[in-house]
Amino acid sequence: MAEDTTVDAAPDVVDDGVAVTIDGTEVRARKGELLIDAAERHGVYIPRFCYHERMRPVGMCRMCIVEVDTGRGPSLQPSCMLECTPDMVVDTTSEVTRKAQEGVLEFLLVNHPLDCPVCDKGGECPLQDQTMSNGPGESRYIEQKRHLEKPIPISDLVLLDRERCILCDRCTRFASEVAGDPLIHFLHRGNHTEVNTFPDEPFASYFSGNTVQICPVGALTATSYRFKARPWDLTQTESTCQSCSVGCRVAVQASRNEVLRILGVDVDPVNWGWLCDKGRFDFEAINSDERLAAPLVRQGDELAPAGWAQALRQAADALSGALDSGGPVSIGVLGGARLTNEDAYAWTRFAKGVLGTDNCDAQLGDGLPPEVVLGLPRATIDEVCRPGGTVVVVGPDPKEELPVLFLRLRHAVVEAGATLIEVAPARSGISDYATVTLTHRPGEVAEVVRALVGETGQSSDLGGADASAVGRARALLDQADGDVCVVLGRPSVAESADFVTDAASVLQRALPGARFLSALRRSNVHGALDMGLAPGLLPGRVRLEDSGAEFAEAWGAVPATVGLDAHGMLTAAAEGRLSVLVLLGADPLADFPDRHLAERALATVPTIVASDLFLTESSARAHVVLPAAGFAECEGTTTNLEGRVSVLGQKVTPPGTARSDWMIAAELARLMGHDLGLESPAAIWDEICTLAPSHRGVTTDLLRSTDSDAGVLVPLEREEPAPADVDSTDGVAAEDVAEAAVDQAAADDTLEAQAAEAEGVAAAAEQVAAEEAGELAEEAAADGPVEDGAEEAVASRGPATLRFDGIPAVTLAPRDAYSLRLVATRKLYDQGTGVQQSAQLAPLAPGSVLRLNRYDFERLGVEEGSVVRVASARGALRVPVVVDAGVPRGAAAVYVNQPGLAATSLVDAAAAVTEVRVETGIDS
Amino acid sequence: MGLLRGFAVTFRQMFQRPVTNQYVIGTGEKAPKPERLHGRHVLNRYEDGMEKCIGCELCAGVCPARCIYVRGADNPEDDPVSPGERYGYVYEINYLRCIHCDLCVEACPTEAITETKLFEFSFTSREDAVYTKDELLVDDDGMPRHMPWEDWRPGEDEHTSAWMRATSPSGSAAFEGRVAWTGELGYGVRSPEAAQADKDAVTVPADDDDHGHDDHDDHDHGGGDH
Repeated sequence: MAEDTTVDAAPDVVDDGVAVTIDGTEVRARKGELLIDAAERHGVYIPRFCYHERMRPVGMCRMCIVEVDTGRGPSLQPSCMLECTPDMVVDTTSEVTRKAQEGVLEFLLVNHPLDCPVCDKGGECPLQDQTMSNGPGESRYIEQKRHLEKPIPISDLVLLDRERCILCDRCTRFASEVAGDPLIHFLHRGNHTEVNTFPDEPFASYFSGNTVQICPVGALTATSYRFKARPWDLTQTESTCQSCSVGCRVAVQASRNEVLRILGVDVDPVNWGWLCDKGRFDFEAINSDERLAAPLVRQGDELAPAGWAQALRQAADALSGALDSGGPVSIGVLGGARLTNEDAYAWTRFAKGVLGTDNCDAQLGDGLPPEVVLGLPRATIDEVCRPGGTVVVVGPDPKEELPVLFLRLRHAVVEAGATLIEVAPARSGISDYATVTLTHRPGEVAEVVRALVGETGQSSDLGGADASAVGRARALLDQADGDVCVVLGRPSVAESADFVTDAASVLQRALPGARFLSALRRSNVHGALDMGLAPGLLPGRVRLEDSGAEFAEAWGAVPATVGLDAHGMLTAAAEGRLSVLVLLGADPLADFPDRHLAERALATVPTIVASDLFLTESSARAHVVLPAAGFAECEGTTTNLEGRVSVLGQKVTPPGTARSDWMIAAELARLMGHDLGLESPAAIWDEICTLAPSHRGVTTDLLRSTDSDAGVLVPLEREEPAPADVDSTDGVAAEDVAEAAVDQAAADDTLEAQAAEAEGVAAAAEQVAAEEAGELAEEAAADGPVEDGAEEAVASRGPATLRFDGIPAVTLAPRDAYSLRLVATRKLYDQGTGVQQSAQLAPLAPGSVLRLNRYDFERLGVEEGSVVRVASARGALRVPVVVDAGVPRGAAAVYVNQPGLAATSLVDAAAAVTEVRVETGIDS
Repeated sequence: MGLLRGFAVTFRQMFQRPVTNQYVIGTGEKAPKPERLHGRHVLNRYEDGMEKCIGCELCAGVCPARCIYVRGADNPEDDPVSPGERYGYVYEINYLRCIHCDLCVEACPTEAITETKLFEFSFTSREDAVYTKDELLVDDDGMPRHMPWEDWRPGEDEHTSAWMRATSPSGSAAFEGRVAWTGELGYGVRSPEAAQADKDAVTVPADDDDHGHDDHDDHDHGGGDH
């Protein structure tokens, strides 16, 4: 693809371009660049409908036809199908071109209904715009137009109006080329050609909403936006999607203080303009009637509305009381992945600096230890999806949990020749694209990984994986071109995180150059961990024991001991050792893997303070509920799974008196006699930049500069897994780059564009380096001699941030032959509030059945779909059972957090794996 | 002394005939209004009773005073409000802002909104000044609804947006007098405004064309027949 070429060509500025003349101006096109792109890059926009820069050209619509002379005289050619060749002469405005384009438009409009006033695309429609700019001006067509039934729903989210369709092939290409769900296609022939789904097969793709965004007419419209507004009603702000941790850039569009639509923004390092349907359509939850608009305070069995003063006072009294009676360790703060970075920092500072408790965890026992997430050499999405690279996926199904990462991985494999090795407890959405999929028995992922890297010990059965597949995967890994990247996450919540940690240790040891991309799912969980919302951590990816002194100086105090994680806190709560549990947008009853423990914890803990958007199952049990501002309602920054910090935009006001979480933290601190001195998200960010070692230099100015559209990777100075000779400071390096670029440009002045680009980048880098140096100097001056050692460390190779050094191998008792091991995974649509509060998405949650391998299924001797009893040491459930070839023998798979099935009530969070027995012959 | 001199003017004026024209009060009559006067809006219906408004918001988009608020909605399949997929679910005009420029009428693709000649209406509260669909939409007989504070006289609903009915597609004189609009409940298909040539023939002597030609609608036809 074009962008690949540019990336490859940029560093060594070799002139492999071709000279073409566009409208009388000679320009330099890149080798293999399409004429339509070259023209656009040089300011000449050629009209088009079917061409889309993120998909292969097809030349369907003929709108981009221009007069081209390649030495054989001028002729009309579609510029989207034409690569630039030397000395090509193009005229995009000639009389012949104009007449051809008018003709194309006249033909396209023959059957177009021109119902622009009722069409959702009206006002932002490329067909409308180009008819005005390039059309004939008057119609000669007076005959009856084609009439078809309209609109017809092709999925639950997308409506199709075939009359308006101009057969550009964008949606169908997207479905097959990008999403890999070829469920819409051209049907019939000639004048009867239409786009449609196959009979009885809806366009049930997780990415269907993208077709609405790329449709150049109003043929595909979204049910949630249908007739809601016209483009001129909408105002927009750019933000980052908070539905998962991929961090897709979006445009949030609103009218009259109501978010009405989310569109994907094309940023190169992350989402390429695509969004998943959850991210695109779950904005309806923002406008839900069930949003909390005022604080609630428990009076007996009821939660009654109260004023902020009363609610905060009650929460502060509970916290003070807990401090007095049980000390800081009797307070726990659970959750924080919904928060912005600033909110998370404020809460960390409140919890660790004011309350003095280290019992903080942004994860709910369903993720990975923070040192694994933050302490391994981290990969970017671009590095993972490097053309020709090799990726190992050890973790959850990216299609269900991180859909746009799935699109990028799929593209890397299908279009860019990457090799993907999947290690998973059951086949997943990415298995179809994996070169090799190794399915392992639950709890034995590390065995498979050991076999994969050739470290196999005594265990001969390879964790249940197929020996030949392991052999093939090993060969692929040996042949890997360049460093391997690993996508690392928690594949199933029914088994301990230790197994993945073990697998990560093995991979880190065996593949020294490997980089890791975290696959934790919750929106800003990486930001919350960066900000120290985890036991033993402080903001900036540092340990309490390493950097406690510095933070104690800045904050006044830090916790004396390392606290409890989510599992520890809930256990302590259940045992009566916690007095106050603060839930920061956390719903442990739904999300913690062990429902029984969560139940007991919430029933036992004397006071629960919840900050939430909705009254969830857990926050409904709270004693004080504080309404918080959510996505599109507050300013701040967020961090995605790469560690990329991007700016969130506020577009609407929160409902009622709901407010940002940082304000809640600051108010509670004030009521307890501490002034945090936090006044705005910007001020908090400034404090983060100063204090958090990994975030040094990531100033607000840098984040908001136009070069940082996609966000800024932190830390600015990335740690290389294979250390290179670092003897020059960054500023010099940047200067060198700039000079080299400028020299090169001087040598060949036809490359001015690239040179300018390089110069810009270098200048930005230089500025950052200078700022950083300035800050360090300031710090040194302020800190005095005590900090000299630390400062030296900072200056030489950055602050001592978290580092994962591996763990010893984890062993697992062999499986009881009568039991099956549970695999509990997630689906994109579940019982989460974002989905459930969006009218269009709520019905899409599939529910859960028990999936078994045919071998295990046949042993049961029941009909497909009949209800069985699944029992673990913790509890029992009744659930329909079906055959799934993707589940390995000896495993039983369910989806968690689905309507009608509390799968987590089977899981014991303290056990390594969850063994279940399936009993038939029960009365349904 | 100066004071007396000043008052002398006052006293002198007291005995002169007032320049003010009595309008309605006193006479009970309204002065005749030009055919193309822009007054209070109505939302029309088709002859079968369906609403003409499709909620497209073009009127709101073009309004220079930003006084129109429209929201569309999906037509209920069993009981459609307007023909087609979409109808005007919310329609509000704030008459404290409206400048009666008639651009909304010009923008409307379905002739749903037109202006009557009524301008004698005033309110005692801001709420009254915001006309919603209940007030703007014509009644079941196609007649404009009469608010208590509006002084309707016979004929004021007759010539709604007459200038529009004289305007021809693309401004071409070839279309003059041709009906290109749909009928309205209660009025049927309104007749086009008299063609310019006909008007000229009636109001102006044939030999003297340029002088004394004070017709206000002169430029509407852009000198098509000059």
